Amino acid sequence: MSFTPEPGTPLAVYYAETRPRTGAVLSRRSLGTLDPVTIGRYAMTIGATDPVHYDPAAARSAGYADVVAPPNLLAAMVEWGIGTPEDRLQPDGTPVDGDVPVGGGLGLRVMGAGEEMELVNPVVAGTELVLETTLEAVTPKQTRGGTCVFVTTLNTFRSADGAVLNRNRRTVVLRNPAGES
Amino acid sequence: MSDNFRVGDELPRLRHTVTTFQLFRYSAVTWNPHRIHFDEPHAREEGHAGLALHSHLRAALALRCITEGLGPAWRVTNVDYRLRKPVYAPAEVVYTARITVIDGDSMTVELSEESPSGEVGFEGTARVSTTGAAT
Repeated sequence: MSFTPEPGTPLAVYYAETRPRTGAVLSRRSLGTLDPVTIGRYAMTIGATDPVHYDPAAARSAGYADVVAPPNLLAAMVEWGIGTPEDRLQPDGTPVDGDVPVGGGLGLRVMGAGEEMELVNPVVAGTELVLETTLEAVTPKQTRGGTCVFVTTLNTFRSADGAVLNRNRRTVVLRNPAGES
Repeated sequence: MSDNFRVGDELPRLRHTVTTFQLFRYSAVTWNPHRIHFDEPHAREEGHAGLALHSHLRAALALRCITEGLGPAWRVTNVDYRLRKPVYAPAEVVYTARITVIDGDSMTVELSEESPSGEVGFEGTARVSTTGAAT
């Protein structure tokens, strides 16, 4: 049985605008060079103590070219480079023009719902990163928590020479603003 | 290498206390300005019961359970997880990794996260391999 968000709601507007873009490449861009400080900070923040994340000599002894990122570092980064100016952030803090279309200006609530990651090659410091984002699916659902739309994007991270590092299918769930159905 | 493991083996559990400091630092290092992770009044306005753990932080902790349990000879090659319930900081979370398939140099591991309420809020699977553990 098909289901669509209640007409007239922000979620219905979002669904009508976004679903036709299914299959489109949303962006393809260079992210710059992954530096060792970012890898070390990420590792420290999640509590990973393996020296391969901090010490180039330990990483080389383990067979890596330089310090290596924990498995989901690329997936976890919300913004690369200097990021979005504050006047381009929505009231909930999410960037208007982020990699995942979150309905800029509609006030939708967004949360991560899951991810499918293919970790093709280790990600080491000094790698020049290129990211291509494709909109894979826009699916409305009625859940116990109310009406929502699940959005899945495929993020393919490559090094500058074209080698695939990660293929990540990320799903977020969008809901109407608090107080709306 | 997989001879050391049997289907049904559970890796050492990862018990971790997620603090609001950790949420702040995770937002900072991932350059994530989403307010539900650092602005509690806003998070509650959105219907949350407090500051929400980042989905990727929960995944990172679950993956630590694997990488620390198996050691450097193994590399995570595939991960698939779903979030069933939000968890709010501060929180004591426990991650479990159980081997469900052994196939030559690869294994499949089932992941779950138990929150203070006893509910499973995160579940998934990961594939690990000894092939290409480093390059």
